[in-house]
Amino acid sequence: MNLFTKQTTRAPSNHLENSKHKINVSLTRKNAWLLWLCQCLNIAVIALELSSWMLAIISLSLVWQALLLHQNRDRSKTKQQNSYVVNSKQHSSDKIKKQQVGQVSPILLGMFAVLGCLALAVTAKEVGILTTMVQLLCFSYVLKAFEIKARSDFYQLILLGLFVLSSSLIFRQDLAFSFIVLSLLVINLAILLQYFSSESALVTNIKVVMLLLGQSILLASILFLVFPRLSPFWQVPKAKSNETGLSDTVKPGDIANLTRSTKLAFRADFGQQKVPEYSQLYWRAVVLENYDGRQWSKQKSDGIKTTNKIDSLAKKSLIFDAGTTGVNPLNYQVVVEPSFQKYLFALAPAVVTGDKSGIHAESDFTFISSRNISQAKSYQLTSYLTAPFSLELTQKSKQVNLKYPKGSNPRLESFAQQLQHDYVDVQARAQAVLMFINKENYEYTLQPPLLENNSLDQFFFETKSGFCAHYASAFTFLMRASGIPARMVTGYLGGEFNGDTAQEANPEGHMSIYQYDAHAWSEIWVVGRGWLRIDPTSAVDLERINSGWSSELLQEQSALNDDLLSLYQLKNTAWLNALRLQFDALDYQWTRWVIGFTTKQQYNLFNDLFGKMAAWKLATIIAVSLIVSITMLMLFLHLINRVKQKKIPLAKWQIFYHKALTQLAKQGIEKPTGMTVNDFAKQVREQSPELAIAFTRLSTSYNRLCYQTLTINEQAKIALTMQQQYQQLLHTLKQQQ
Amino acid sequence: MTVFSLPKLFKRLIQKNVENWLTRRIPCKEEHQLNSRNIMIYPTRFGLSYLAFVALVFLLGTNYQNNIILLLSYLLASLFISVMLHSFYNFSQLRFYSKAQQRQGYAGDELFFPIQISANKAHYDINLHFSDKTINSSCERVAQCQQGSHEVNLIYKSSTRGSHALGRVTIFSEYSLGLFKSKTILDFGHYAIIYPKPISLNRGQYQLSSQSDEQSIDSYQTSSIEGIDDFSELKSFVRGESRARTAWKQLAKGQGHYSKHYQSSQGQSKWLILQEMPGNDVEIQLSYLSFLVNELTATNQPFGIVLSAEAHNSSTNISPSMGFAHQQACLTALALYR
Repeated sequence: MNLFTKQTTRAPSNHLENSKHKINVSLTRKNAWLLWLCQCLNIAVIALELSSWMLAIISLSLVWQALLLHQNRDRSKTKQQNSYVVNSKQHSSDKIKKQQVGQVSPILLGMFAVLGCLALAVTAKEVGILTTMVQLLCFSYVLKAFEIKARSDFYQLILLGLFVLSSSLIFRQDLAFSFIVLSLLVINLAILLQYFSSESALVTNIKVVMLLLGQSILLASILFLVFPRLSPFWQVPKAKSNETGLSDTVKPGDIANLTRSTKLAFRADFGQQKVPEYSQLYWRAVVLENYDGRQWSKQKSDGIKTTNKIDSLAKKSLIFDAGTTGVNPLNYQVVVEPSFQKYLFALAPAVVTGDKSGIHAESDFTFISSRNISQAKSYQLTSYLTAPFSLELTQKSKQVNLKYPKGSNPRLESFAQQLQHDYVDVQARAQAVLMFINKENYEYTLQPPLLENNSLDQFFFETKSGFCAHYASAFTFLMRASGIPARMVTGYLGGEFNGDTAQEANPEGHMSIYQYDAHAWSEIWVVGRGWLRIDPTSAVDLERINSGWSSELLQEQSALNDDLLSLYQLKNTAWLNALRLQFDALDYQWTRWVIGFTTKQQYNLFNDLFGKMAAWKLATIIAVSLIVSITMLMLFLHLINRVKQKKIPLAKWQIFYHKALTQLAKQGIEKPTGMTVNDFAKQVREQSPELAIAFTRLSTSYNRLCYQTLTINEQAKIALTMQQQYQQLLHTLKQQQ
Repeated sequence: MTVFSLPKLFKRLIQKNVENWLTRRIPCKEEHQLNSRNIMIYPTRFGLSYLAFVALVFLLGTNYQNNIILLLSYLLASLFISVMLHSFYNFSQLRFYSKAQQRQGYAGDELFFPIQISANKAHYDINLHFSDKTINSSCERVAQCQQGSHEVNLIYKSSTRGSHALGRVTIFSEYSLGLFKSKTILDFGHYAIIYPKPISLNRGQYQLSSQSDEQSIDSYQTSSIEGIDDFSELKSFVRGESRARTAWKQLAKGQGHYSKHYQSSQGQSKWLILQEMPGNDVEIQLSYLSFLVNELTATNQPFGIVLSAEAHNSSTNISPSMGFAHQQACLTALALYR
């Protein structure tokens, strides 16, 4: 007696769906693999920050998961084969069994988790709090994947993944990395979307997510511009990454090692001004005044009192510098890449013109940041390139800059005494040394032979080949031994101009200074001229000073470096180089406007836009603009939707029906809007029986098309008959008349 | 006491107000089109935790003074809003048409309420179920609703006879990232008439009587008893016919599957009387009647039904007749009997 209940074949599993919070039905095998892949990618992004044992544990867990997934596939295959035979009850019990096998026992997982946490706690002191936190995050992220039982577990996993992504941004922020993180975000969200539209392909879902994010970008950028930037709520553990770049101490071979790196050190933007000559671009970073016979190191300041004194002295000389010398000032902006050190770079002598907070000017014309530079930092400088500096030398400073351990390099000492005897004039003496280096067969190389005990004697008289630090060290030592106050300076020389070089007068672009531009030079103090910069490298390799690395040096660097694309190749392949420069320019804009966007800039932006105003006005403007932008977004989407709706034209059959209605209206039979089609047909039958047959047929077809589930072919057929019926109606109407 | 009863009263008041508001806002119709009038959209629990997560990322960015992380948090926050709009547009413009407002069936049977969904574009993750939680209907999911029309059957199953108003139908979607639940509660005016479940009567358990005051009392016995009904012909078996009427002899001989047809003598209308059914429980008695009604209809015998003691009460007593409509009327009377 199944007269009244419609029987359809339904899988029994459908009934399980209302208990969706218990079983994650929709996480298909494909989705599970995608999730796994996504996890691997997320971990890969942050892998550099994890210690190797943690990486080992994580990869072990991931492999384990992959194995579990693989096993599940085998089981589902056999299940599919059996499913024709097995009836529903056995089927469901099979399913339960499968889940039991597919899942790792919670006790085992718990033990694993506890062991991992213990290991983390033990190593916490060593690696620092931040790294420990990140490791804990990754560890829980991987472990969570073992127990996806309910939908909420899946959600948690996705959110954890997003958090892993965002915390990876603590360590790196450059354009390429941000782009990678963004694309991973898209993949993560696409997997989440896949859960809700499991039937569409991953590619379409990725497209949808990109569309969603694209629409969000508008509001996000407005938020970025106007949302108030808050100061940190509490102290957070800082990243303890490897320091890069120059260091406090320099041994002769150090700079040569540094030049193997092709990493960016900083960028400088001269705006519309002419970029100085290459040989003028001595970016000063560290002044090394102490020499212990092996290495040069920074002079430690004795205490607050003296530093204050020196500061005031330095300021005095700088004010003097800026005021009286007729030297043209050079304004520029420097954007330093994170180096996890404190050194800032400047073309000495310089003063900070913009935001002075967090930047200290030292007495030796270098600048130091008050905090380790863990993300890109920018500052404005004004330099007076040819102005002399420190015309006065304090007694203490003179002592320090003449000191050298007696007997450390006896041959150089005797050579210095001979020089002192031969050349009375200080500058002539320095010139003589340079001449000596130039005349004798010295070699400039990235791979200098090793020196015993960093002996300068050995370099100067025996091996006779070295890099800039060798020459600068030997030269400074010679000067000190011959009674001239001298010191070693490290920094960068030159840089690569990236931009439009065609317009010589007002170029657009910036300088990029890489680690391989690292350099060391000397300064001697001459009465009446102050500290004079003397670069002994000029005596051995003039090309380095005037235009940068020679191709021999580049080739040498390529041989030492095991990067996939060496600098030499990059610079010699035109299109690769163009691409590299393009990307560098993009990255610069990114660093400048996104990474370096500060509260100050935000404030300036408002000032530029609206003029100076009270804080509450600003707040109102922010609030109003946020609200307006949100409503704009909503309206925009609404309009898009409306347009789409309008674009869909009425189907042919709908038009026929409406035409018929207008024809009837002409006859005086009008259809009230609320009336159903059938009721109206009845009304027509009563009012004009001649039209009834034709119109009733039309109405029936219309109803069928409206409310019946039909295939496309059937629809077309009925639409065709409707056309005929409409013509019939017209025919009868004509006959009536 | 008042302290405890007050919230209850309050709750009831709110519920009533909500219902009133709903009937004004979404009145009962055969067909509904989703638009901003009848769609409710609110964040799910995941949506709220997502917001908390975004706040956490914002904190991370602020504490590290990291613009990229801040930008990411803004992007995620804006995504929340765009997802809301996408959720809404995924859900709106859908049309729901209920093909049957009323369904009948026996207690314990599954009743199907077909609902036709028509879409102008592809919609995702459409879920339907009856709003009334006590109905305990399963949630029907349409993972992807392509352009065109689809049919979904809502299932209703009840073990108690009677006429049940099924209330509204909840339709919801968590599409785009599960952050928002777009929901609507449509009223199609669904109701179900549940007949008593037929319980078969053994032969001789009940003697069918004609109404004593009008016609001579005839006894009813199940059709296998000879003598009462005159065997008229053998017809080839049609699916759905009662097996009780299978001509087993012919089948066993291999002559084919036939069923026996009887012709009861006309004019001898039988009356099915509730009080005369065996047992004390009214429900069981009704179940027996339900069985008999089906049997008599299947064998094409006219019968009447007497539920209340008062004679000629038209609402509970149905005068003898035959056919499908009569069967329906009788079963409905059984279902509605109080």
